[in-house]
Amino acid sequence: MKIAILGAGPGGYVAAIKAAQLGVQVTVIEDTEVGGTCLNKGCIPTKTLLATTELLHKTKNSIEFGIEISGQVTPNLSKIMERKNKVVSTQVKGIRSLFKSWGITLIEGRGMVISPEKIEVQKRDGSTDIVGADRIIIATGSRPAQLPIFPFDGDHILSSDDALTIKSVPKTLIIIGAGVIGCEFAFIFSELGADITMLEIMPRALSTEDPEISETLERELKKKKIKLMTGVKVTGVQGRHDGIHVYLEEGKELVAEKLLVSVGRALNSDGIGVEAVGIEKGPKGEIVVNEKMETNIGGMYAIGDVTGGLLYAHVASREGIIAAKNIIGADQKMDYSVVPATIFTSPEIATVGLKENQAAEKGIKVKTGHFQFRAIGKAHVMGEITGFIKVISDETSDRILGVHIIGPHASDLIHEAALAMKAGLKTRDIAETIHSHPTLSEGMMEAAEDVHGEAIHVPKK
Amino acid sequence: MNPEDLKYHKEHTWARVSGKKATIGITDYAQKALGDIVYIDLPEVDSNIEFNSEIGEIESTKATSSIISPLTGRIIEVNEDLVESPETINEDPYGKGWIAIVEIDDVAEVNDLMDASEYEKYVEEEKK
Repeated sequence: MKIAILGAGPGGYVAAIKAAQLGVQVTVIEDTEVGGTCLNKGCIPTKTLLATTELLHKTKNSIEFGIEISGQVTPNLSKIMERKNKVVSTQVKGIRSLFKSWGITLIEGRGMVISPEKIEVQKRDGSTDIVGADRIIIATGSRPAQLPIFPFDGDHILSSDDALTIKSVPKTLIIIGAGVIGCEFAFIFSELGADITMLEIMPRALSTEDPEISETLERELKKKKIKLMTGVKVTGVQGRHDGIHVYLEEGKELVAEKLLVSVGRALNSDGIGVEAVGIEKGPKGEIVVNEKMETNIGGMYAIGDVTGGLLYAHVASREGIIAAKNIIGADQKMDYSVVPATIFTSPEIATVGLKENQAAEKGIKVKTGHFQFRAIGKAHVMGEITGFIKVISDETSDRILGVHIIGPHASDLIHEAALAMKAGLKTRDIAETIHSHPTLSEGMMEAAEDVHGEAIHVPKK
Repeated sequence: MNPEDLKYHKEHTWARVSGKKATIGITDYAQKALGDIVYIDLPEVDSNIEFNSEIGEIESTKATSSIISPLTGRIIEVNEDLVESPETINEDPYGKGWIAIVEIDDVAEVNDLMDASEYEKYVEEEKK
């Protein structure tokens, strides 16, 4: 069995390794760099920058921990970017060496499906190659969405890709879109010294999250002096000698040195030949697949962002594994019921499962437990007391339906909840599990206890 | 003790009324219940505030709590010093820990507030 995978992001490269492990001969075609958006322009570089800005914040406030620093604490952007590039290139090398060890062929160039068994590749050296395969997986991902009224110019009007390679920190920055990407960048650039204004069309930041999470995050934005305007619509953008002018529908005009546009992602489903072979696409251009990751064309699979749905690296990776297994004859289906998601703001946000409003829409009666990090000793030890854990459970069965966290290490804490949900556990199971002290994880135990009004570190109600 | 010259709201805020103006803050009971205050979100100057509605937030090492306005009117000044030193509210809730100065819409509204002894009784009841 021979397969070809178009795209080596977290969907494609994981599918490639899994298929190779299962004994399949794999060729991967990648236009830019292995690791895709996640590794080169997304998850990893942004989190590397965040690691720097968190350290910077702690250093500036080191006196809180009893450390006096004499002299200036100054971020050096070129050194920061150097570190980021090094982290990325180490990971890139890691994937390349995994490919080598599993005997996966990597062809660097732009691939185009020309039949259900053939991909034509425009290689970087200008030559053309035809890759033949018994099965094809399309994993071409997504890119920053561009709106006609503010086209990216890479200099003053930036996409998230551009923001990762800027040469200097702008004095003033307007961010259009207070979703995940906009919020993550706001905290990073604010710490580096930019004066930031965020513009959001929806009534709150992170409008798809639990409203209490948005409320807490908005307070943190305020603490950092990041201005947030919600419910505003941008009607025009104009570059002038004194900066970028942004016009709002209400008549206001804002000016900043640079503009970062983070209004979502566009799917990379054009120009890859899927129309020619008759692959069905949905209204957003997404490649339509079933739960087995099969397209409507026999032998052709698609995974990750290009299929729409949840645009998460970890979902793409799992879809890649499912596709690889199905290719060798398994009958596996994707299960999206437990998908943890993380947002790397300060503090972090992590969620899994249903939100209260989603449960209500489904007509499920729920109980909720709530626990503030500021009631945990370890949070005070770390000097990070903001945030809470909210547990949502089925009123009758007590099974955990969802957990929503904003607070220190939320991205690590969420997986206890994810595992519990995957195993169909009840809040009692978490509440009755001894959690080590002093840890942030105690918060999960207390939030589960609070579902039953039994949390220890909560005053009598 | 709660100063005799102030008026008190049941959400544990106070008002020092002088003509059409009033200085407002949170009570000693409130600051003690909150514990060490680490952050305050002040109302904006020129914003209109309403009796019994939220005008800002206070965060302590124990809790996050809304500041409820004891009066209706317009904010004419806020205590900017609290941004850097919110702990001033713990140290001096009726003095340097004032939160804002309000231009009152209707001075008669002051009559709806409690005096010091009424407030003390109210707090005793709430503690039970």
